[in-house]
Amino acid sequence: MLFGTADVDALAARAPVMERLDTEPLVLPGTWVLQVTYEMAAAAREALLPPALHPTDPPLLSWTLLRCTSGPLGAFAIAQLRVECRSGLRPRGFLVASVIDSVDAGRVLTARWGYGSRAGDVHLARQYDAVGGTVRLDGRTILDVALRDPDPLGPHDIQYTASMHLAHTPRGVRLVQVDPTFAVERAERGRPHLVAFDAAAWGDVRIVPMHPVSASIAVADVTLPRLRYLCRPDVWAFDGTETL
Amino acid sequence: MEFGLFFELSVPRPFSDGVERTVYENALEQVRLADTLGFDTVWAVEHHFLEEYSHCSAPEVFLTACAVQTRRIRVGHGAVVCVPEMNHPVRVAERAAALDIVSGGRLEVGTARSSTWTELGGFNVDPDTTKKTWDEYVRVLPKMWTQERFAWDGVSFSMPERSVLPKPVQKPHPPLWVTVTSPGTELDAAARGIGSLGVAAASFAEQERRTREYHHRIRHCDPVSSVVNDKVATLNFLYCHEDARHAAATGMRMLGLFSFYNANLLPTREAYPTRAYQSLGALAPTPGAEAGSPGAPRGIPDGIAIGDPDRIVQAIKRWESIGVDALNFIVNTVEAIPQEDVLASLRLFATEVMARFRKGG
Repeated sequence: MLFGTADVDALAARAPVMERLDTEPLVLPGTWVLQVTYEMAAAAREALLPPALHPTDPPLLSWTLLRCTSGPLGAFAIAQLRVECRSGLRPRGFLVASVIDSVDAGRVLTARWGYGSRAGDVHLARQYDAVGGTVRLDGRTILDVALRDPDPLGPHDIQYTASMHLAHTPRGVRLVQVDPTFAVERAERGRPHLVAFDAAAWGDVRIVPMHPVSASIAVADVTLPRLRYLCRPDVWAFDGTETL
Repeated sequence: MEFGLFFELSVPRPFSDGVERTVYENALEQVRLADTLGFDTVWAVEHHFLEEYSHCSAPEVFLTACAVQTRRIRVGHGAVVCVPEMNHPVRVAERAAALDIVSGGRLEVGTARSSTWTELGGFNVDPDTTKKTWDEYVRVLPKMWTQERFAWDGVSFSMPERSVLPKPVQKPHPPLWVTVTSPGTELDAAARGIGSLGVAAASFAEQERRTREYHHRIRHCDPVSSVVNDKVATLNFLYCHEDARHAAATGMRMLGLFSFYNANLLPTREAYPTRAYQSLGALAPTPGAEAGSPGAPRGIPDGIAIGDPDRIVQAIKRWESIGVDALNFIVNTVEAIPQEDVLASLRLFATEVMARFRKGG
């Protein structure tokens, strides 16, 4: 049985602050969702996760880029890097870092769901032969990925796992479970292609993409939910899960 | 009602020298005892790369050992993965026929297509194709076993005319099955006239519905062979002890650990969006997932053969009443139960439970 071995104090040092946990749901209509998944080097699979979480075999990382053109937060785009994992029996993604191109939207997403995004440029470009996603931080490209040769999928053929966001909460340092719903209007799958990834800029040089797995693009109404569960990061989820 | 043992050959960490050998030797000892006690079948999975959960990547070797160390119990693939990147269909037919000979005609052949990204990705298999290749395999295997010479021009493979050798002892060939994880696969089995080898937990009501639909559909099947295997088998967990509380604590620890390791597999659909894999495929009943650790005592799910003999008898009678023909038991997980206790559980089950489901029992 494998557990995460990351130092919780070190992770918490860069975790955002959430003053409240009683947030209401928020709908982001017509959002483009590009998700690219790679297998990553197994050497650090436990070291990247807090002890509450278990690594997958093989370890997977996902870059998820959302572009929202309307809705209560206005137009914005956000890019997330997550390491897939398990919380108890449940599939989850541990949020390593995120970048957002709107300071105002970022403030809301951090305060209510613990995204902790840094400000940067996030660009998602849709062509007929490919969908590209780029992230720039302080003038440097830290991610350049693409979905190539898209093919239609059914709206129910894509599965998104819930996220675990480490944050300073009124209950202390906790993993905040964020499980958005995706009402998918249309979806496509294609070949994943990675041009550039700056692991250090994303917070951990041990994250090494090794093998392409999948890429998908969808248009969906994304609902960021009311928070339901927290989890202590230092003990496994069977003992550390707290209901809100 | 028939009774079988079902082996994943799960191995506890740390993977120190000898631990895998201990798991294999313990399993073989359980099979030898099951043979003398009157169990009907021993099944072994085929899994690749699944650390801890299953170190049973060469089931034909394990099953050959089972066959040569026993006299009566049948040996079953539960199941051979029917995708060319893992097993060429000719090699499946050849190995099965050889095992049928070595076992003296005691082979059962389950078929499957694999469900985890860990395995499919490891062999660079396109998940969209596995249902098609499985379907082609179950149609060609009976031909390879029964035709003197065989040629094929198909989707997943083609070959010029050859004699596929040896031929199996059982005529026309060993019984064919398909493992059923996702709801609906039992109807694929029925439509082709092959057995439904359940490997996922289902409630009584769900299994009753599936069994009824399976038996209805198989009456109008287009069989892949000249013989129809119309049996329905389901997966279960066994720990039998006179002390019901001890049985529950020990058995549920095993079940909880199995659930945990199963949940930690990486289903294909989680990594690779596809319409070919719709179900995440939990294989064990999930007792209160968020409610406690895998080792914490919890209520025994309905129908699970954990408890004292009377409780297990009642559960099996219920399975029997809804048309299930065979129950296959997982009897340990990551060696959580000491070997002597597993053997004692098998002995008690045989004398106090199994005997009541035999003729005159």
